[in-house]
Amino acid sequence: MTRGLGGGLFAFSYALLFFLFLFGPLIIMVITAFNSSAFPRVVPWECFTTDWFGVLVRNERLMSGLWTSLAIGVAVVAIAVPFGLAGALALADIGPRLRAGLYAVLITPILIPGVVLGISTIVFWSFVGRGVGASYDTVFYNGFFLTLLGQVAFIASYAMLVLNARLQRFDPTLTEAALDLGATPGQAFRRILLPFMKPALGSAAFITFLASFENYNTTVFTILSGNTFTTALASKVRLGTDPSLSALAVIIIAVTLIGAMVSEAHTRRQELLRSGKAGQSRFYANPLSRLLTHPGAVLVLLLGVTGFIAWSASRVDANVCRAAILQEKQQLQERLMQEQRNRIQQQAPAQPATPSPSNNPSPFGGAFNPNSLAPPVQPAPPAAPPPSNNPSPFGGAFNPNSLAPKQ
Amino acid sequence: MAALRQLWSTIADRHGLGVAVFIGVAVLFWVLVLIVLPQLAMFDVSLRHNLPRPEIGGPADVYTLKNYSYFLFGNGALNTLDIGVLVKTLIAAVIVTLLDIVICYPIAFILAHSATGVAARMMVIGLIVPFWINDILRAFAFRILFGATGVINGIGQALGLWSSPIDFIRADVALYAGLAYTYTLLMVFSIYNAVETLDRNQIEAARDMGASWWRVHWRVVLPVAKPGIASGATMVFMLTAGALAAPQILGGPSNLWFTQIIYQWFNDAGDWQRGSAYATILLVVCLAFVFLMMRVFKVSIGAIGR
Amino acid sequence: MNTRDVVLEHVSIRFGNYRAVENAHLSIRGGEFFSFLGPSGCGKTTLLRCISGFVQPSEGRVLIGGKDMRNVGPNKRPTALIFQNLALFPLLSVAENIAFPLEVRGVGRKERRKRADELLEMIALPGTGDKKVHELSGGQRQRVAIARALAAEPDILLLDEPLSALDLKLRQHMRTELRAIQQRVGLTFIYITHDQGEALTMSDQVAVMNAGVVEQVGDPQTIYNRPKTPFVASFVGETNAIPGAVMNQQGALVTLDTALGPLTGQSAGGRDYQAGERCTLFVRPEQLALADAPPATNAIAARRVNEEFEGSIRTLFLNANGVDLRLYRMNADASGPALAADGTASIWFRPEHATVLPADPSRSG
Repeated sequence: MTRGLGGGLFAFSYALLFFLFLFGPLIIMVITAFNSSAFPRVVPWECFTTDWFGVLVRNERLMSGLWTSLAIGVAVVAIAVPFGLAGALALADIGPRLRAGLYAVLITPILIPGVVLGISTIVFWSFVGRGVGASYDTVFYNGFFLTLLGQVAFIASYAMLVLNARLQRFDPTLTEAALDLGATPGQAFRRILLPFMKPALGSAAFITFLASFENYNTTVFTILSGNTFTTALASKVRLGTDPSLSALAVIIIAVTLIGAMVSEAHTRRQELLRSGKAGQSRFYANPLSRLLTHPGAVLVLLLGVTGFIAWSASRVDANVCRAAILQEKQQLQERLMQEQRNRIQQQAPAQPATPSPSNNPSPFGGAFNPNSLAPPVQPAPPAAPPPSNNPSPFGGAFNPNSLAPKQ
Repeated sequence: MAALRQLWSTIADRHGLGVAVFIGVAVLFWVLVLIVLPQLAMFDVSLRHNLPRPEIGGPADVYTLKNYSYFLFGNGALNTLDIGVLVKTLIAAVIVTLLDIVICYPIAFILAHSATGVAARMMVIGLIVPFWINDILRAFAFRILFGATGVINGIGQALGLWSSPIDFIRADVALYAGLAYTYTLLMVFSIYNAVETLDRNQIEAARDMGASWWRVHWRVVLPVAKPGIASGATMVFMLTAGALAAPQILGGPSNLWFTQIIYQWFNDAGDWQRGSAYATILLVVCLAFVFLMMRVFKVSIGAIGR
Repeated sequence: MNTRDVVLEHVSIRFGNYRAVENAHLSIRGGEFFSFLGPSGCGKTTLLRCISGFVQPSEGRVLIGGKDMRNVGPNKRPTALIFQNLALFPLLSVAENIAFPLEVRGVGRKERRKRADELLEMIALPGTGDKKVHELSGGQRQRVAIARALAAEPDILLLDEPLSALDLKLRQHMRTELRAIQQRVGLTFIYITHDQGEALTMSDQVAVMNAGVVEQVGDPQTIYNRPKTPFVASFVGETNAIPGAVMNQQGALVTLDTALGPLTGQSAGGRDYQAGERCTLFVRPEQLALADAPPATNAIAARRVNEEFEGSIRTLFLNANGVDLRLYRMNADASGPALAADGTASIWFRPEHATVLPADPSRSG
């Protein structure tokens, strides 16, 4: 094709490396979800288990956060998509001189750091709340409400971008034709423009929901004392990790892949049907195989396969293997202690008994109590006390009550 | 004002009064109540003292610059720590942005001009899937990868490249890699959108005239890709500088991101005023930096997000 | 007053400082096929959008059926516009497209379908109602657009270069068909085109526009044979332009002093010229003829430069004392007078076949 320009071997190997970079971390994370080791890791491999999925589901904080996130997500979609549509329509009809200005205004929320949006939202609404003399249990101090507003502020811009792209391909003479044929402007909008925007409205809804669900930077401020799925996840990761998070990643990746394949099946089918090539294909001639090309059938098929894999995996009992590992570890411990005893007996100077082969931290295995286990390389919380030569900018960071402004 | 009235009548004539009212109310509410007023409120609060609730609005509630002067001078001498963190954050964001440009430019070009049919579709899906996975989980994956007992250390030690585990987290390698990873999709699609418009004949003509491949990229492809690179770079820079989750999870214990300082003032110290001041500083510095860069590279804000 | 009459009263349309249409003043009788002919950018589409209600005149008024159309929206006017790109709704079926005007009026589903099928019958596309628009060919879409416009039961049908996207054969076929439909339904058709062939073959009346100004209104023969302005003379059909100065005038006949010697033509509209006035004489290539013997008037000695064979005719490219001329010869006339062996020829034209017009006012001031 464009040989010597990124075509051929170079393009292939570069793409391969690139996608290795993209998928490598995910694949490794997926593998750790099935290792019984209490710290997420691939080596040393202990036992195949699906128990981490159970641990995930039993995490009440995450699960209650999940419902909050879903509710917020739906509300954000309901507001951000119409706002985005309004923005896109305004951009389409505004004069060329003002368009650049309005575009800049509507795009800025994407550029504003999420942290700033979150802070400005709670500051503003508590300001308003104080102004109307509202108490702390009113809407102005409600994490759900504030998160909704804070997220809509920038997620509506995403919706606007998606809808704007579609709207630019709309032929405005279609609206004129409808008006000319006697439709009221409202009729033309409902019957001609909205149906044209439908696919983009769908993808805008999808993207806004995802953006809302994933958002951390803004939400961590606006949710106040509450929790969404993502903020709960973040505090779990910050405090220490176990492979139940990998299990979560497995679920999300599976859902994503299935969604991507179903949507791909949908677009392929639409294209074939539209181009009329479907009629020539033998695959479409047979009613049964034709049914198989329907995205719904693809979905059912994929769900079935996934379900079967999950079912058979859940039947693997890791207890025997785990007991063996435990025994192994105990034996290792025995042996080490034995060796130590021997050493102590041989050498006069007594040394503290610390069995620590460097490549295997925590040999005493968290197999007994995965949740309580701190990861071996857990970084100190970022809010670490500052170096002493500093005039303590974070002083009292851990003790909000005692904090008074330092002059 | 006249232009706004013109806009109003255009929309009302074309889509009807109901739609015009909807557009007017929605855009106004969005821009004013959700964006502009909150920023102003934040700026206002950043100029006040941190007072107990009963004293707010009272005689002690006066404007002050102390939150900003604190950022500059701390409790006396120059506040090297906070300023240092801000500068470090900006430099790191620039590094991550450059990294993403370098990684993503070839893939965007391949996607636009070399891959066809099924391969191109698979590439697009392959790009989107990692983006759908939660930010937190992406950072988590990099912690698994770069941890002391992680895969990288495992492989390195098994191959005998190094003997004791390297602390990639303390060295910020994990953080940079994780941030660069997170925003690849944004960069790829920004550049792709620009490069895709390039007529393949132009490349072939240049090749035909005997230009080497790097010269073709430098003289033909890169000028076309520039708005896309600018758009992607702006978004990646702003998102990286404003990132909070990745530094919290992947940042080393002694290394802070500026957003983390804001977070601490706000949530841990409960000092909204100082937190607001720091947030304002972050916003102004980042936007100023972006506009400066746009001026330097002669790109308009209209290129962003296309 | 006929409800299908359209009157433009001193209509001017401006966009900021740009004058799109300048003082258009004409009336179109009900049931007429009326064409606006002009090059692109001459303001004809703006004028059409003004009649259909998408653009408001800056000055003057538009009357339809005697009623002032100011502040009457496009959806309230008795007009239907066929857009240059047809503007068929891509997401609706053919029948839904045609029935759209009825749907927005609240006509029931069954009644709509019945009417759509009738119209499909009329445009000779029965049974295509359930197809999508993109499944039709260009000519079929054309007819669907006409059917949809007719379904709105307008008094006036406005057509904005609807044939420009079609290939030559189909375009010629659709000309005949459009004319036939117009005569069948008896509506006023206002047709916009830059193609003089379309305007001349289909229209009852033609208005030639240039740079926002209507230069001449008349039936096709008058427009072609008796152009009133240099622009009309040169835009409609091929012509030879020979500049000169007035020597004398005898009644309608004006004699010019030109580089080719004295030439006589007819004064446009019986206008009187003063001696010495700068003028241009226009004569059509088919009115120039080779002569056996030097004729008494309008004899030109020319030299052959080139020759093109175009099927039924042959074009001779000649030069006479620095002036380029074109001459059409029917190939059937091969036995007539011929060029001399050295390529020189004597050519002539009848004075009543040539038109004398004042030199382009933009040049002469």
